[in-house]
Amino acid sequence: DLLRLCLISKSACLPRLVQLSHLHTSPNSQAPVPALPEKGGKTRHGIIPEEIFQLLYPKTGVTGPYMLGAGLLTYILSKEIYIINHETFAAACMGTVIIYGVRKFGPDVAAFADKLNEEKVQKAQEVKDLAMTSLAQAVLDEKKEQWRAEGRQMLFDAKRNNVAMLLETNRRERVHMVTNEVKKRLDYQIALQTLHRRMEQEHMVNWVEKNVVTSITPQQEKTSIAKCITDLKVLAKVQQAKATV
Amino acid sequence: MTLSFFDQFMSPTYLGIPLIAVALTLPWILFPTPSARWLNNRLITLQGWFINRFTQQLLLPLNLGGHKWAALLTSLMLFLITLNMLGLLPYTFTPTTQLSLNMGLAVPLWLATVIIGMRNQPTAALGHLLPEGTPVPLIPVLIIIETISLFIRPALGVRLTANLTAGHQLIATAAFVLLPMMPTVAILTSIVLFLLTLLEIAVAMIQAYVFVLLLSLYLQENV
Repeated sequence: DLLRLCLISKSACLPRLVQLSHLHTSPNSQAPVPALPEKGGKTRHGIIPEEIFQLLYPKTGVTGPYMLGAGLLTYILSKEIYIINHETFAAACMGTVIIYGVRKFGPDVAAFADKLNEEKVQKAQEVKDLAMTSLAQAVLDEKKEQWRAEGRQMLFDAKRNNVAMLLETNRRERVHMVTNEVKKRLDYQIALQTLHRRMEQEHMVNWVEKNVVTSITPQQEKTSIAKCITDLKVLAKVQQAKATV
Repeated sequence: MTLSFFDQFMSPTYLGIPLIAVALTLPWILFPTPSARWLNNRLITLQGWFINRFTQQLLLPLNLGGHKWAALLTSLMLFLITLNMLGLLPYTFTPTTQLSLNMGLAVPLWLATVIIGMRNQPTAALGHLLPEGTPVPLIPVLIIIETISLFIRPALGVRLTANLTAGHQLIATAAFVLLPMMPTVAILTSIVLFLLTLLEIAVAMIQAYVFVLLLSLYLQENV
């Protein structure tokens, strides 16, 4: 606070004054402060405390304090303890203005002061509420994470299955490849064998042909040609006979 | 205990003890010390709010050097407002009607602003004596006029004294005239008195504010 700052700085540079830093040093000043009352003391007609009326009620009843007030006023005026002079009128005027001002603007000012305090409380309350909601949210999130963590076995199984499938696929691919390679080798062997057989066959056929051709003597050739001619003549005769028939 | 017109302006003494000291220091008890609580009662809340707002508004046009004067100006304002408003109550003495008090406040503070200006930025402080854009032939005359204006600034105190004294005196006169009057005419006079009362309340607050405002203005020029 500004005033406190001035006082403290003053105490630093003027040591001959009261050492203000020696005040409020005992632990008594740190004791918890009792709560403030909600409302101020009850008053009647704005100024006179209700307690006076309660005090006088047993002896003088309800009108007691009023009689006291009126009697006091009369006494003061008649004994000229208080003289009515120009200040009285000025006081009456000023009193009217003050009472009017307080009655008219009092509740508004009080509401304003209450609003200032209320805003202070509300700001702190907002912080507190925000902290509470965020913490509650954090608790929910944590619970969700714990629930999620429970399913970790399923996750591991799925992953394990995945890996097993991959391995199986790989194995089958390799088996397939091996089969293909073996088949290729065997096909080669078969092709080789057929080639061999064909070549042998061709060779043999060639050899037989060659031998047959070389074994045909010129005698055989003549006899065969003569036979062919006679066969042809017979055939021609038959044909001529068929044609004339 | 008859009162004359000017009794209200006599500096009160009792058995040789100048009671003006009491009149100057007792109003302090009307301002409760802010407590160590977080939420206070209405009086302390309003007081704190008012002081904060006032200081903030007052320090807006001042640069950082002028902020050193914050405590002084705010406490001066509270002091003057309290003295003025309490003086409106009947049978009270208003210390601010004494020229000695007001000049005692105004002259040192004004002189402080002048000396600060002359020490820290003498060129700018002297430059204030000649407003911008004056035609050349007018310069000598204007410098003299501005110097006179500078030295008449302690009239801050005279202004406060005059306003308050006049107001109180008017109320006293109107009330005095009201005393032996016939009721029909008295009604008019009481209306006058009522209006004067309202005016006085306003003047009490305004004059205190003007005092502090002008001081801050002088500070703004020089700091």
